[in-house]
Amino acid sequence: MKRVVEGSQAVAEAVRLARVEVISAYPITPQTHIVEFLSEYCANGTLDARFLRVESEHSALAALIGTVSTGVRAFTATSGQGLALMHELLHWAAGARLPIVMAEVNRALAPGWNIWVDQTDSLAQRDTGWMQMYCENSQEVIDTVLMAYRLGEQVNLPVMVVLDAFFLSHTYEPVDVPAQELADRFLPPFDPKFLLDTQNPCAFGPLVPPNAYMEMRHSIAVGMDQALARFPAVEDEFEDIFGRRYGAVDAVHCDDAEIILVTSGTITSTTREVIKALRARGEHVGLLKVKLFRPFPLEEIRRTLQTAQKVAVIDRNFSFGASGIFAQEIRAALCNTVDTPPVFGYIAGLGGRDVTREIIEEIYTNTKHNEVPEKESIWVGLQEV
Amino acid sequence: MTAKAENKTGEFLLLPCTSMSTESNLTGSWRFMKPRYEEKTAPCSAACPAGEDIGRIEMLVTQGLFKEAWDTILRENPFPAVCGRVCYHPCENNCNRGEFDEAIAIHSLERFLADTASKNEFKPSIDLRPARDERIAIIGAGPGGLATAYFLALLGYPCDVFESTSATGGVLRWGIPLYRLPLAVLEGEIARIEALGVTIHTGRHITSDFLKTAHERYNAVFVGCGHSKSRKLGIDGEDLDGLEEGIRFLEKIRRGDLPAVEGTVAVIGGGNTAVDVARSAVRLGGKSVLVYRRRREDMPAFEHEVEMALEEGVELRQLLAPVEVKQTENGYTLVVRSMKVVGEDEDGRAAIEPVGETTEELTVQKVFKAIGEEPAENWYNPPLKRQNVMRLNHSVLVHEPRRPAVVFGGDLTSRIKSVVHAVASGKEAAIALDVLFREGADAIRARLKSCAVGGGAALSMEAYMDGLRKNRSHHTVRYEEINTDYFQTTSRVTQPRLLIGERIGSFKEIDLKISANLAIKEAERCFNCGLCNQCDNCYLFCPDLAVCRDESSQGRHINYDYCKGCGLCVVECPRNAMILEEEGQ
Repeated sequence: MKRVVEGSQAVAEAVRLARVEVISAYPITPQTHIVEFLSEYCANGTLDARFLRVESEHSALAALIGTVSTGVRAFTATSGQGLALMHELLHWAAGARLPIVMAEVNRALAPGWNIWVDQTDSLAQRDTGWMQMYCENSQEVIDTVLMAYRLGEQVNLPVMVVLDAFFLSHTYEPVDVPAQELADRFLPPFDPKFLLDTQNPCAFGPLVPPNAYMEMRHSIAVGMDQALARFPAVEDEFEDIFGRRYGAVDAVHCDDAEIILVTSGTITSTTREVIKALRARGEHVGLLKVKLFRPFPLEEIRRTLQTAQKVAVIDRNFSFGASGIFAQEIRAALCNTVDTPPVFGYIAGLGGRDVTREIIEEIYTNTKHNEVPEKESIWVGLQEV
Repeated sequence: MTAKAENKTGEFLLLPCTSMSTESNLTGSWRFMKPRYEEKTAPCSAACPAGEDIGRIEMLVTQGLFKEAWDTILRENPFPAVCGRVCYHPCENNCNRGEFDEAIAIHSLERFLADTASKNEFKPSIDLRPARDERIAIIGAGPGGLATAYFLALLGYPCDVFESTSATGGVLRWGIPLYRLPLAVLEGEIARIEALGVTIHTGRHITSDFLKTAHERYNAVFVGCGHSKSRKLGIDGEDLDGLEEGIRFLEKIRRGDLPAVEGTVAVIGGGNTAVDVARSAVRLGGKSVLVYRRRREDMPAFEHEVEMALEEGVELRQLLAPVEVKQTENGYTLVVRSMKVVGEDEDGRAAIEPVGETTEELTVQKVFKAIGEEPAENWYNPPLKRQNVMRLNHSVLVHEPRRPAVVFGGDLTSRIKSVVHAVASGKEAAIALDVLFREGADAIRARLKSCAVGGGAALSMEAYMDGLRKNRSHHTVRYEEINTDYFQTTSRVTQPRLLIGERIGSFKEIDLKISANLAIKEAERCFNCGLCNQCDNCYLFCPDLAVCRDESSQGRHINYDYCKGCGLCVVECPRNAMILEEEGQ
């Protein structure tokens, strides 16, 4: 049934449909609406789940680590500073192989104090062993949360479903909210491969000496590989029931494109419009949207971009002392191939600044008129100060 | 160290997880500090001259175990209903909770338990020692004599109590007005003592000759005749008809003779008798002026009694010493002289001297003197220090070879004249005599010390009779030793009382009973200093699962094979019922 809902509510609806049993979260703008919706669902019986009120994000995730160890499905949500505070436990959740799902609303890190969209918070956690799925609109949010549980529980890894602050979290859009029975058909109850069982006692997280640690890390790496391999099958199952799929990446007009723009999050929607207009003017331009950032769909990206003459990556994030983080990953994906197209790295929209059609067109024009990038990172729309 | 979990498609998951027992790792070997359970002494119980186990009593109240709480009082004090009314409750002044918000209303709770026991006709469940052959004579059926008889009966001794007046109770019957202590309450307490087999002979005045022949029938004598003679003022006009002894006035009222009081009466003195005379005169229609030669803060009367007297309209004139009483046409003139404080006397009280020669004349209808009482007969006074005389904290024991031991107690030996001090005296006398008969005089002091509450002057009969209380450490818990994180500030229960108008119109009891609901709420405020209330924090917080539940009275023990000595249990114990000490101590 189509309903007009806020992006935050789309998350909450998906959590309800996933029949999550425990929610543990600490409020932080712009994520707060998500847990507010969920606490109401818990209070009014819409969702039969325990809502744990905790004193920090660190505790929120710690509580879920314990919870999921007992074999129940659980959810948390956070943003910016809150995610940073969770850092230690992000590693723990993945190392303990717990398929927790978190909604992470991208928020700029302080100082300067800023509550608006910026991807640096989630990308700074890319090495924690969590899957990361970046969403473009509210429909994708609701669908991705359901798929996150399906995929995470198969490979025993946690998943971050990432959405832009305000542009997505606080925007109302018409969304198809699936019927519970359909959601149930797609997402069966959590069937844990291991759990904390007092009848069969064991200790989780004991000392692991050098002779065993590396194998465990490798097992996580294998889990990530499996997730990448299984993602299409999960999408197939989803599409069978709901008629929608997104792809680990979404390539638009890339087959004949001379220049391919690489985007993630809500910038993608604007870029789709720009591409349409440019192609109407005869420009050979394509778009590659990256949805799945961890595991990184390297082969698919390499294959798609290899045919282009130039690649322009738009990063709403920055790794200080290096470059935009998506650009780094794209360059790395292309480096071991012949005839590598040059990769132009553009930094835009940090701290919630608008990335307009004009800015995207400027990025396209600049890429077109330069053989190679004049520098590694081009900060777009930077004002004189 | 690792476990593999296989999923349905045969893929392995390598997990940091182990089913190996960690029991082989005896983490107790790391320990250099050692926690252990140690119940300690609550400051209230150390401050109570009767050594009542107040922390334990309030704990039982919170559980609704009113009968058990009442029994716990009775192990240390035969007069819960009396003390719940007239005690000046030094316990509350020493309550650790007083430093947190307000002291526990221990006095109101004691009254509540006594009244609940009376209403439900509870019968005491207290262990009695097997009967002994030694017989003891007790002279005086006041609180001291009755307490002595009670504790001796618990220890198995047959007692004869001789009372010179026509009825039992001593000062409780003749000296304390009904608005503080109704007669039925007193009689209920005494009946319980008699039920233990104590025989009371009223109307039997004992003279000093008794001691000469006592050995024929008794192995020991307790002298508890109290102070019943008014002290002299030593001023002109002391023998005038209009000048009456306060203590006789109170006695007259208790005998049912209610003399009308008209106009203003002056009451000379600052003790409890003076205050009661002034308040009684108000109830009989007069206006009372208390004339005291020192200041209000120096008055030996209990502060809350003074407070209530002032509420009831009694006027207090401080720093006025009586000089002379003169009869006039319409009544009497009390001549007084202003005094001033000049340092302290040898007892630590304010030393005073006249401001000058000028005097003031108070016109009154009557003058009562109540500057204190003294023993009615000389032989009531305990002998001075000499061989075979043992001056204890609350009594004086004379033990001469081949003669019955004589113990002087009650008001005869107590500095503070209170019921609870009389109880302390009776308990000390009973224990001292028991030790004397069983082990000889040389053992008395050590045995008394071993059952001293917190090592102080108060004694515990339960500890003496080998009850669980003897395991308590003498350490008296300080406020800083309570983990106040576990307590929230709550207001103290208000003692319900008659309105002022209702009070001064009759001798009806002023203080009313609090409800069971309020009593439980009030008892829940108690820190139970030094006592384990089975909260289980030690068990919950132990990171090594080294706290193990068991069937002992403590309910748990520490497995030292695994206790690392981190001290969490001790820190998280809200009430300081554990101790952390260096290993090997």
